[in-house]
Amino acid sequence: MPVEINCCERQAHMDRVQGTIFDIQRFALHDGPGIRTTVFLKGCPLRCIWCHNPESQDFNPQLSFDRAKCTDCFRCVKACPAGAHKVVDGRHVADHGRCCLSAKCVEACPNGALKIIGRKQSVREVMDVVIRDIAYYNNSGGGMTISGGEPMSQFRFTLELLKAAKEKGIHTCLDTSGYAPGDLFERVLPYTDLFLYDYKATDDKEHLRLTGVSNRLILDNLDLLYREGASIILRCPLVKGINDTDEHFMGIAEIDRKYPGLAGIELMAYHNMGHEKYERIGRKPEMEMLPTTDEATKESWLERLKAFGCGKAIIG
Amino acid sequence: MAIGKLTRELHFTEVYKKYKDEHIAIREAMCLKAQFPGFLGGIEDNDLFAGRLDLPAVGITPDEWGPTSFGYYCIEQRLIAEIEDPSLDEDYRQAVKDMLDFWREENTSTKLRRAFPEKMARELYTDDWMNQSGISFPLYRLCGGYINFDKLLQIGIPGLYEEVERYRQKAEREGGDVKFYEGARIALDVFVDTCLHFSNMAFEMAETARTKERAEELRLMGTTLKKITKEKPAHLWEAIQLMWLYSLVADVRNLGRMDVYLGDFYVNDLETGALTEEDALRYLESLWQLIADRNTRVHGRVIIGGKGRRNEENADKFALLAMEATRRVLEVEPQLSLRFYEGMNPALFAKALDVIGEGRTYPILYNDDVNIKAVEEAFGFTTETAEQYVPFGCGEYIIDHQSFGTPSGVINLLKALEVTMHNGIDPMTGRKMGLALGRFEDFETFDELFEAYKKQVEYFVEIMADHEELEYKIAGETAPFLYMSMLYDDCLERGKGMFSGGVRYLGGTLETYGNTNTADSLTAIKKLVYDEKVISKERLLAALDADFEGYEDIRQLLLDAPKYGNDDDTADEMLLKVHNHVCNAVRDQRHRTSLHSYLVVIINNSANTLMGHQTSASADGRRSGLYMNNGNAPMSGMDKNGITAMLNSIVKPSTHIHAGAVQNMKFSREMFTTRRAELEALLKTYFQNGGAQAMITVVNRNDLERAMEEPEKYHHIFVRVGGFSARFVELGRDVQLDILNRTLY
Ligand code: SF4
Ligand code: SF4
Repeated sequence: MPVEINCCERQAHMDRVQGTIFDIQRFALHDGPGIRTTVFLKGCPLRCIWCHNPESQDFNPQLSFDRAKCTDCFRCVKACPAGAHKVVDGRHVADHGRCCLSAKCVEACPNGALKIIGRKQSVREVMDVVIRDIAYYNNSGGGMTISGGEPMSQFRFTLELLKAAKEKGIHTCLDTSGYAPGDLFERVLPYTDLFLYDYKATDDKEHLRLTGVSNRLILDNLDLLYREGASIILRCPLVKGINDTDEHFMGIAEIDRKYPGLAGIELMAYHNMGHEKYERIGRKPEMEMLPTTDEATKESWLERLKAFGCGKAIIG
Repeated sequence: MAIGKLTRELHFTEVYKKYKDEHIAIREAMCLKAQFPGFLGGIEDNDLFAGRLDLPAVGITPDEWGPTSFGYYCIEQRLIAEIEDPSLDEDYRQAVKDMLDFWREENTSTKLRRAFPEKMARELYTDDWMNQSGISFPLYRLCGGYINFDKLLQIGIPGLYEEVERYRQKAEREGGDVKFYEGARIALDVFVDTCLHFSNMAFEMAETARTKERAEELRLMGTTLKKITKEKPAHLWEAIQLMWLYSLVADVRNLGRMDVYLGDFYVNDLETGALTEEDALRYLESLWQLIADRNTRVHGRVIIGGKGRRNEENADKFALLAMEATRRVLEVEPQLSLRFYEGMNPALFAKALDVIGEGRTYPILYNDDVNIKAVEEAFGFTTETAEQYVPFGCGEYIIDHQSFGTPSGVINLLKALEVTMHNGIDPMTGRKMGLALGRFEDFETFDELFEAYKKQVEYFVEIMADHEELEYKIAGETAPFLYMSMLYDDCLERGKGMFSGGVRYLGGTLETYGNTNTADSLTAIKKLVYDEKVISKERLLAALDADFEGYEDIRQLLLDAPKYGNDDDTADEMLLKVHNHVCNAVRDQRHRTSLHSYLVVIINNSANTLMGHQTSASADGRRSGLYMNNGNAPMSGMDKNGITAMLNSIVKPSTHIHAGAVQNMKFSREMFTTRRAELEALLKTYFQNGGAQAMITVVNRNDLERAMEEPEKYHHIFVRVGGFSARFVELGRDVQLDILNRTLY
């Protein structure tokens, strides 16, 4: 019977389709309404200079080394088949570039200083975790959020995950930069209850400078989703002195005017919590560490936006 | 030369000697007369009610006053201090020494220990559970009684006299134990004398009171104390005075369903204008302070809310008042406990969350929708009876003034596993212990190991059940515990003391410790030694015996094995196996013994830490001497998947086979203020999923500071900074400091 075949196919699909994820966070309260489980996908086509999750950018799993936990016991040096751990001046130094992801060092380290970030998981494996909190979603108006990285860059996986969640009646959120082909957005739309949609800079050149890509595609996709009736919360990461310009604020206000039906506009104020993560994965930050945004600045942003005619924005 | 402090005790001892061979009710009554009111403290400055304890070094009590002081007890150190004080009179010191010699033979604990049969004496080789290594230990106490305060307040002292007299006459007619009732009557006389003693004291103090208001308070206290000896209480303050003083002389440390027995008094006084809400609150705050100063450490329970209240509407009003008192009086007792159910006045639960959110940790929450059925099943009670369940002390359930179930024994499951793996030797001491069931190296399959562990546990469970039965027998032969018996079903009807056949349901409980560590150890052994064979049995034993010194790699593997508390089926199923086994083994003891029930309790106090000191390294990666898990909780820091995963795990073990388990939870203050809706949804879901109980701590600066020092234990704290949340322990040090400082504001 065709129905059964479909069903079996889909079941097989859930095992076959895999994604690379770097975390599943349960009881997430800040990635959409209610109590949620957020699935963080690894890999992003953008390179925002302020990124607080640098480990989410690379599409492949990678080694992370937390210097603060290391006692220089050198077990990793002995364990590593790739020579990625060395002793320099009596201290352990990790050479991330040599790592072949054998994870031998992770097992050897007695202090949990080493980790491999990122793992392949099937849709089923992820759903096995997500469904465990359904009762919590139902009582709180929550659900599942797919975040990243950029979920749309692992389109197949994201689509199947969304479908699987909807099949279980779970509310879905997609946290996206908007940077993906428009037809792909059209395909996830039926299975996405709410988009958390980033808007990072208004001037295209600025956007390119700050994120590494043009914002044209992003704005086109926003327009497309809005017109097709998607529920969207606009999320604007703001860094004092970097992108909190009048021009950008006017741009946000303009979007608010153009799309009065947006479900919300949230300002995501910069914090420097991600700064030291760069070092852990063997990278240098793209931008110097700035102080975490103070309350007064946040207030002033809201004021300025109001002056430009946008009263909808809140601090996210 | 000076006479020391123990003249009251000397007198008490003389009286005891005089009546030593009398009927135990008469002997006890005469001893109570020697004990009260002399052994009570005075009225202090802000007290609105009379009654503070001044603990005697020798006396009679059902509950414990130190490790082996219950029944007729003697706190030896206090006597020895006097004997060794050269500034005291020679004859006095000799008299104290004679007293010490006398009580060393005559105290109830000694009698109990001397009655141990050979096997019990061998396996329970020491009483010092805090400092010695062992699988099981006896505790000397008859604790957790809940007397019928409601009846006391409804019939008053005159009513109680009448009832005693009626039964006495019946006993005379029909040949019952007349002396039992005579003893009860004398005890009531002692209580009346005690009331009058404090009444006089209050009036005297009123004369010299510093303010007019205080003089008035004291005069009212004096009048009240006199009045309650002749009439049943009519007002809230009279009711409180009566129940409080009675609870002291009875040494009953948990105060029952207070909203039921005080609710009508409160509402009546409000309606007639005898009191305003603020007045009532002042009384309650004073009572709360007295309860706090009584300092029972683990008792002081006040129960509010729940099914089975005869005056629900009035009781609800009182319950709200009680929670407000708890919000205002910043003390660790009373342990205010809210029972709730789907359909109860929602104002109570809302108020509870407000108070908890302020970091008060009270009320403790009890879910009737789970617990009533659990009590029905575990004890074999009807629904109506089960509706009267009350948690006492650290969290054991009994039926209000109908059943008794002292936790007079502990078992350390992790030590049982340890001894089993060492073939009947305790590696901590090298002592032979329990059963030698074969060498771990020779167990071919995991099931063989598990079977051996089960046998070991069962062996001790039988000893502990026998011990509990014996304790009751000795207690029953020693005293009727008159104050308690008069207000416990069915002692007066039967003409018997609590433990001499009087109480309706005489059960017992056994405290289990290390449940989670045991399960996690077994999970790791099964996976790594038997299934995957990555660690040999010899190496595992060597690693454990060396406390992982030189075996860090093995410890890492063990730590990485699945752990209870993460909603992980492998780990959680092992916990269920351990849980079901010990709970059922204990529950089956009712068929072997005369106990109405014998049930496990999984509670938290310091025993998990103290017994942990005496427990070697375990296969869950825990180091030697480290504390064990707390109550039904995951091992600290081992729940790494967030609160929903933890809650999903802890609702898995059946609640229908034990007498109570506690669940500690910690939340950030922010959760209670800015994320209240989600918090409520979280708790609601937990309770709908079968959560029985919750004790909620709101995280403060301290926790965060400790999280910085010992991050491995604080994986579960999430903090919010700017646009997203993070696990606190994964943040850089300066960020942590940042958040720490911000939380202060
Ligand atoms: S994961 Fe393997 S290759 Fe990479 S650093 Fe560790 S041991 Fe070396
Ligand atoms: S094994 Fe761990 S602690 Fe030892 S040197 Fe390597 S990273 Fe540092």
